Amino acid sequence: MKILSLFCRSHVFHDQLEQSRVRLYRVAYSWSHDAALADDLVQETLSKALKNASQLRAPELLNSWLFSILTNCWRDHFRQHREMADIDEIEDYRCMHETTPEDEHAQTQIVGRVRGAVAKLAMGQRQVLTLVDLEEFSYAEVAAILEIPVGTVMSRLCRARRALKEMLQELAPVQSAPISQIRRIK
Amino acid sequence: MKQDDQVVSDEFLNAFVDDQLDGAEKSHAFDAIEHDDGLKERVCELRGLKERMRHAYEHPPTQGRSAVKGRRLRASHLQALAACLLLCIGGASGWFAHIWTGMGSDREMVRLLQSVQRNDVGTESQKIIVHVGSPNPVRLKTALDETESLLDSSRRSGRKLQIEIVANGGGVDLLRADVSPYAQRIGLMQEKYPNLGFIACGQTINKLRKKGVDVQLLPHTGIASSALDQITLRLKQDWVYIRV
Repeated sequence: MKILSLFCRSHVFHDQLEQSRVRLYRVAYSWSHDAALADDLVQETLSKALKNASQLRAPELLNSWLFSILTNCWRDHFRQHREMADIDEIEDYRCMHETTPEDEHAQTQIVGRVRGAVAKLAMGQRQVLTLVDLEEFSYAEVAAILEIPVGTVMSRLCRARRALKEMLQELAPVQSAPISQIRRIK
Repeated sequence: MKQDDQVVSDEFLNAFVDDQLDGAEKSHAFDAIEHDDGLKERVCELRGLKERMRHAYEHPPTQGRSAVKGRRLRASHLQALAACLLLCIGGASGWFAHIWTGMGSDREMVRLLQSVQRNDVGTESQKIIVHVGSPNPVRLKTALDETESLLDSSRRSGRKLQIEIVANGGGVDLLRADVSPYAQRIGLMQEKYPNLGFIACGQTINKLRKKGVDVQLLPHTGIASSALDQITLRLKQDWVYIRV
């Protein structure tokens, strides 16, 4: 029975990993804005989760544990592909120089405008914002996932939303001026 | 009321919108917002931003693998169920179900392979999937050495064994005709052991091709939609997983 129980637990774990794939992908995409890279990050995350399954302390922590792994995979990606002196620079890294499909549609579509604006946020702000808004993690959970204090989560979130609001206003389609203006006639 | 608008910080309003306040703080927030149009407007803006974020990432673009994967996993679920019954009857090989946890180094991989080799489970069939994700030639050689030794000993003892080597990332180099340092050896192993398979990750190949790399795989190498899909499938079919 012990063997059977172990076996069934293992299957439940695999199913849970599979179910998490879509959510991991959504967040990975919101960080990278690159479908292929997001897919790779999710694959790497799930692969590491399978490999290190024994490190999961409690089943209820699976969700935040997976996103912690995703965060580490994202950091590793930067280590391998960006020449930065300090890994902490990721927090301030902006993708402003990168052209994304979102940029092209930013002036016309709301989805593109939001994604374009998120892509321009500093990475630390982007991560906090997406984990809170897309995955509805609590501030404490986000702090644990990103390994930062809760106060930092709050301040980054605040700055992210302020910046997002401003950028969405800037990126909003320009309303054409009225052709004729009403004049006061005495 | 204008004073409240200034006193209530953005952090506090964010926490309110994100449902991070405790009971007393939430009551205070509701009270303040109810009597202040400025605060109401700020809360509306924040909620609007949240909604737009969710909407923007509700359907992120994918590479079109999800539907196929879903079908395959449902099918493999039934296979997993059948495998579960077989496992209960066999019993002796049950401990393999957890063997894929906690491994990482070459030494660990060798230890695992050798433990499989030593383990006497009579005529019980064994299936092992070896995941190669690194182009490190030393690791590749170790993987091939141990795999060959395992296949050899199982043949001598008349034990059924099936091994699949799945490569992705840099590990795909192992299976590329023009790059692999072990092309000839792999060919010989394939001839000698029909129970040995090599699978390359389709996603890695697509990525290389997009970069303009002409990927030619070794003969008789299979291609999976992705390495992870293949590994997940095999785990559901009770294969032992070993990562190199």
